[in-house]
Amino acid sequence: MSLSIQEILKSKGITANPQTLPFLEARWEEVQALRGDLTNIPIDDADIGLRNIPGGDHVEQQTN
Amino acid sequence: MLNNKLIDLSALELAPLLETKSISPVELTKEVLQQAEQGQSKINAYMDIYQEDALQAAEKAEQEILNGQYRGLYHGIPMAIKDNIYVQDKITTMSSKIHKDFRPTYDATVVKKLQEAGVVLTGKLSMHEYASGVTNDNPHYGAVRNPWDLDKIPGGSSGGSGAAVAIGSSVASLGTDTAGSVRIPASACGIVGLKPTHGLVSKYGSFPLSWSLDHVGPMTKTVKDAAGLLDIIAGFDLLDPTSVNAPSTNYLSKVTGDVKDLVIGINEDYFFNQIDDDIHQLVKASIQHLVDQGAKVETVKIPSLQYAEWAELISFATEASAIHHTNLKNRPDDFGDDIRLFFELGALPSAVEYLQAQQVRRQLKSDFQKAFEKVDILISPTLPIAPTTIGDHFANLNGEQVDAVTNIIRLTGPANLTGIPALSLPCGFKGNLPIGLQIMGPAFGEAKILNAGLAIEQTNPLQGRKPNPFAQANS
Repeated sequence: MSLSIQEILKSKGITANPQTLPFLEARWEEVQALRGDLTNIPIDDADIGLRNIPGGDHVEQQTN
Repeated sequence: MLNNKLIDLSALELAPLLETKSISPVELTKEVLQQAEQGQSKINAYMDIYQEDALQAAEKAEQEILNGQYRGLYHGIPMAIKDNIYVQDKITTMSSKIHKDFRPTYDATVVKKLQEAGVVLTGKLSMHEYASGVTNDNPHYGAVRNPWDLDKIPGGSSGGSGAAVAIGSSVASLGTDTAGSVRIPASACGIVGLKPTHGLVSKYGSFPLSWSLDHVGPMTKTVKDAAGLLDIIAGFDLLDPTSVNAPSTNYLSKVTGDVKDLVIGINEDYFFNQIDDDIHQLVKASIQHLVDQGAKVETVKIPSLQYAEWAELISFATEASAIHHTNLKNRPDDFGDDIRLFFELGALPSAVEYLQAQQVRRQLKSDFQKAFEKVDILISPTLPIAPTTIGDHFANLNGEQVDAVTNIIRLTGPANLTGIPALSLPCGFKGNLPIGLQIMGPAFGEAKILNAGLAIEQTNPLQGRKPNPFAQANS
């Protein structure tokens, strides 16, 4: 079962603007088309761009 | 329009006049404020003009200079900033209805730095609502108009900054850039806009649009003014978790315009694909100018660019939607229709899609890094199309009707995804509208791109022409 865009948004507490809903649906289809299947890019091995820095922001490695 | 030419001068031209007391900050500020007031009925650039505060700050600067305490290039220079950068106790609206009465309790780090440099703040400048758009056609405060043609958009989201600097109602400005919002209005309004390397300039105290893509950057009349302003605002800031502790550099001193042996990279597949023919020609002519001065050209491949538009949209829309999630649920009708739609769009992608977009970004960074092992800079058009008519969602691209917004951010977005520095500066005209060229460089390579920018600026691409909104009938 696939949910409509309106239902997906509703499940997140967001009421889609009925006046722009057709544009939102068209835009979402464009975004999906832009993504393609990502087959031409070796992202499986690529780390994500987020960092997990222990100790807080800007902590440099320190030696005792 | 004022006949006095002080408002036409750059910061670098004004600075020696101020330092030697040939003109006073008060005299200069009065002229800028007058231009700001007069410009409102034509271009609507300002959200708020600080008449009284600006004159007080100018008097203070004047006293300091008279006492021999000249602080440097921007001391006594009147400047307004985009209305998403916090000035303590001053209404900061983000050009939104929801934040119409918001008063920050602290200054943004960049505002503190401007004040330490002796800048005279003249007010806040209009923007696309929450910086989330490129037209500056604002449903709450009215459209900002392009001073070169009042029917056209000034670009956005820092459209007020672009328009104000173009007519001299602010000598320089600060904008923010998430997908091109400094460079797009710079291109559309015929000025210089610099998106620095991510982390070089603190974002503390600027209202976020998309944390991982946001930047604060200078918008100025000239390349050297941008270098001088970057010297003031760059620097590590513990208050910004994305700030990078990079070695300090004096950018202005490194901008000489010497491009001998500079290697220029050209990526035809993405950055010269689907470009307006006239714009294509202007940018290639500027590259030829650099070659005539001793630069070389190499073609480069950046394969992952085919996913750049998708990664930009997913990262941008989801992060923005997260920031505005509560208001999107509780008071959606208080957003303009266009940004409400965009924030709704940002609630749709899955976590997997967001994370894949971040993987694409890592690959893009790697591909750009490889390109910069071969070349010093990359050059492209800033925009593939000329500024569109206000209210028009489509643009004419070589006879084909194309979506305006998607195309406007297509060439600027990759520098936000990768965090590399990118500069836009004028390279000529299409009809009566200025056209911008983009120079990208390796991370923390601001000096390189500013230097190449100066070499192009020295070819006088604006041919001495200035916008005159006062001679145009209101639309």
